[in-house]
Amino acid sequence: MSISGQTQAKPETKRWICDPCGFIYEPEEGDPDSGIDPGTPFEDIPDDWMCPICGATKADFRELQPGEFPED
Amino acid sequence: MITGYGHFVTLAESLQWDETDIDYSADREAWPQLTDTENARVLGLIAGFVIAETSVSGQLGSYQAAASDDSMEAVFRAQARDEARHARFFDLVSAEVAGVPGANPAARRDALRAHVSTELVDLFEERLPATARRLAEDHEGLTAAVGLYHMVIEGVVLLAGQHAMLDTLQGLSVELPGVRKGTELVLRDERWHIGFGSRIVQSADIGRDEADMLLDQGETAAKVWGDLITPDAIETAVRQHRRRLKAAGIKFW
Repeated sequence: MSISGQTQAKPETKRWICDPCGFIYEPEEGDPDSGIDPGTPFEDIPDDWMCPICGATKADFRELQPGEFPED
Repeated sequence: MITGYGHFVTLAESLQWDETDIDYSADREAWPQLTDTENARVLGLIAGFVIAETSVSGQLGSYQAAASDDSMEAVFRAQARDEARHARFFDLVSAEVAGVPGANPAARRDALRAHVSTELVDLFEERLPATARRLAEDHEGLTAAVGLYHMVIEGVVLLAGQHAMLDTLQGLSVELPGVRKGTELVLRDERWHIGFGSRIVQSADIGRDEADMLLDQGETAAKVWGDLITPDAIETAVRQHRRRLKAAGIKFW
């Protein structure tokens, strides 16, 4: 629990979104086609990894905040 | 997993740009200095984009009408605005930078068809419109239509072409900064269009036959640029196509 009272996700469960195309990286799924094993936290992915949907770079992703799930 | 439709509408609104705000003066001065080889390559790519973007911008109405709900329909509407701008941008470049003859976009398009393969013209002026017509008639088959439009045409053909254009511009003996700027902005828009199409595919129950067809279409479509893009770029586009389809939830056997 953080000082503010919000629960902070562990790195291995934090999800990241590719803002340019909307792809969400799920650590539990990884990206096996690119050699990223299931269970790999986003932070541990190599910097030259690219979004499987649009080809954007790792730097184009942002961390989804707890509770944030942009799915209509 | 891909985010919901609301993300794309918000994103599209934040990414608006105007092709007439770009300064093409340096491009106009540099164009006559291109070597014959450079001229043929850049003009060929511009020709492909003029034909492609004009076609895709004219077909989205059928997709909009076939949308399964209001939120999806709103994204198609936002995309249509982008595609119309892309068509205007490449036509503007063809007229004002490359000096393609013709009193209007249709006349310039007529002049540009000679610079691309018949396969490219067929894909954009026959196959895509036929798919959109079928969709307009029965409002069914949206997933397959999106498969051709968003996954094959945008994800393979246009994305490969945009990367080829940026690589080509990088290697020219002179700079075309306005063309580069606009192409980068088009590429930025295309990324969310592909994400949107992937979201629709993700939501659909794609069977083996449809998956195989999407793969085959992608492999064939990657070659429509002919010599304008390298064999390595074609291979990369096909590999990314397969990876994208898998990331959108399609299983391959």
